[in-house]
Amino acid sequence: MGVEPTPTIHALPLRSADFSSLAETLDYAAEGETGVNFYTGRGELQAALSYGELRRQALVLARRLAGLGLDRGARAALVAVTGPDFLRFFFACQYAGLVPVPLPVSIRLGGHGAYVSQLRGLLEGCGAAVAMAPAGVLKFLEEAVGDRIALHTYGGPETFDALPETDVPLQPLRADEMAYIQYTSGSTRFPRGVVITQRQVLSNLGSIIRHGLQVTERDRCVSWLPYYHDMGMVGFVLAPIGAQRSVDYLDTHDFAMRPRRWLELISRNRGTISFSPPFGYELCARRVSEEDAARYDLSCWRIAGVGAETIRAETLERFAQALAPAGFRPEAFLPSYGMAECSLGISFTPIGRGLAVDRVDADHLAGEHFAQPADAGTARVGGFIKCGPPLPGHEVVIRDGQGRPLPDRHAGAITVRGPSVMSGYFEQPDLTRASLSEDGWLDTGDVGYIADGEVVITGRKSDMIIIRGRNIWPQDLEYLAEQQPEVRPGDASAFSVPRTDGGEVVVLVVQCRVADAARRAALVRRMHRLIHETLGIDSVIELVPPHTLPRTSSGKLSRSAARRDYLQRLEEAERSGGGVEAALGG
Amino acid sequence: MRDYEEILAEIYQGLQDSGQDRASLTEDTELVGDLGLDSVQVMEMLLEVEDRFNISIPVNILADVVTVRDLARQIQRLTGD
Repeated sequence: MGVEPTPTIHALPLRSADFSSLAETLDYAAEGETGVNFYTGRGELQAALSYGELRRQALVLARRLAGLGLDRGARAALVAVTGPDFLRFFFACQYAGLVPVPLPVSIRLGGHGAYVSQLRGLLEGCGAAVAMAPAGVLKFLEEAVGDRIALHTYGGPETFDALPETDVPLQPLRADEMAYIQYTSGSTRFPRGVVITQRQVLSNLGSIIRHGLQVTERDRCVSWLPYYHDMGMVGFVLAPIGAQRSVDYLDTHDFAMRPRRWLELISRNRGTISFSPPFGYELCARRVSEEDAARYDLSCWRIAGVGAETIRAETLERFAQALAPAGFRPEAFLPSYGMAECSLGISFTPIGRGLAVDRVDADHLAGEHFAQPADAGTARVGGFIKCGPPLPGHEVVIRDGQGRPLPDRHAGAITVRGPSVMSGYFEQPDLTRASLSEDGWLDTGDVGYIADGEVVITGRKSDMIIIRGRNIWPQDLEYLAEQQPEVRPGDASAFSVPRTDGGEVVVLVVQCRVADAARRAALVRRMHRLIHETLGIDSVIELVPPHTLPRTSSGKLSRSAARRDYLQRLEEAERSGGGVEAALGG
Repeated sequence: MRDYEEILAEIYQGLQDSGQDRASLTEDTELVGDLGLDSVQVMEMLLEVEDRFNISIPVNILADVVTVRDLARQIQRLTGD
């Protein structure tokens, strides 16, 4: 093919996203030689695109989009398949004054119907005026639109490339206008579109580049993270452009199938910055053999970022051990804390430190909400990863149930204020008011404390479940159960519990009146399959007799009480020697 | 294009190698529903299929694969290109 990857080093002086819009950010990066590179699951370079070429193509497309006569700020829904087309459309929107909305590519085994309804919910949620999906995924988009959603134009890239170019002057999105809308969960019934302005995202990019990662002119990024996730989009599309660095991309699905390709790519292209939720490191640790490790040279990997879900030291230590022969340095681990509601980053650990675990008295923390450092006499020790100080310009305050600030080491609700915090959830004023105070404090939904000036996360206050870096709403799981003929509304409760090997697993407790064993087994299998098709996650399904699920005084189901009861049943079953299986109705 | 029966036999073999009971496998067996494959096992199965048949499975076809028969038909199509 003769395709060459874009270079790591070029003559253009590094600027840290000190621009007023994403359009200007690409304008500057386009003056250099760096760009983006796309690799196949077999490790071949499929396409390379310099930022200069990306800008040229995006401007042509912007002039075609401008000819559609859409309102300024109209939403363009883009199915975010990893590849040049998404980037071209994303920036064409920036130049044409349209707001791009990345849509997920969540295609699972047997999940045709579930994916179509997810797309439909998101198209409706963002009020899309136009929508684009590349070949292969287009049929799902077409089905989702059908005759139910009125769009101005939708189709594959070629549909838009066939539009005439207009010569009206382009008016790129400005600092105080939206930069994009980011959907934070795959929920069909509860989509939450985070609205981020140009100023907000650029402030976060600047802080990440200058302080969080201290990007230099020798850095090269590698990523398999999906473009529809904040870490993939803001962290590995926008930040590299903001710092004029080259990126090597691997499709998320290819990574899931062949995780070692990620390490090969870093090794081969001398990548220096790459992030993953903990499960990515876990997948690699499981697959990498000693011979593999001997073939890689990961000594170039300066920042191995970790975030998006609960971090456990053991998972990362296993990875570091397996990859030590490849020259991987554990000091490269950089735990971070962030969320789409704050553009991306809230806090980063100091560079070159690696993991720092705060060891505390677990019983004291659970009972008194105070993180007492553990000593020799502590009966039960809990270890939490320190996630670094907040980025400059951002304040993190821990609060009690009444919203009063708490001192150091007192656990409570984590709230954040600063220039990267979102404007709100798109057209959801109630949701926005519930998360964002009038004076700008974002309630993150996480619980934690501050120790030595660093953010430490201990759990979640809201019922949202995080699996493999993805946000999952328990309501979606409960709804799936309630749709079954054997189950009645209010008969299901969903939550997550830690797995023995790290990470979390979803548990769905379902009240069931069916007595026949075969019918019960069939129900469990069917729900397991539906959850897999809809959300792409594994689940434990427990059938329990009616009136088992605990309710609050007002008669509402309590997920936290259901979780506590479940763990208790599990413990009793283990104690009585019946094993875990006996505790599960399946 | 490869013979359907031959593809089917190889799928059965692959599933058996990963610990499934051959006697309970039919063309109607649901990969996730009946075999209870978790997400990592699904990926491992697809990887095995790609390597065995020397094909690359586009992610979009997975949406219509529920049973062993669905998988065999997709492989047959992909090996025919």
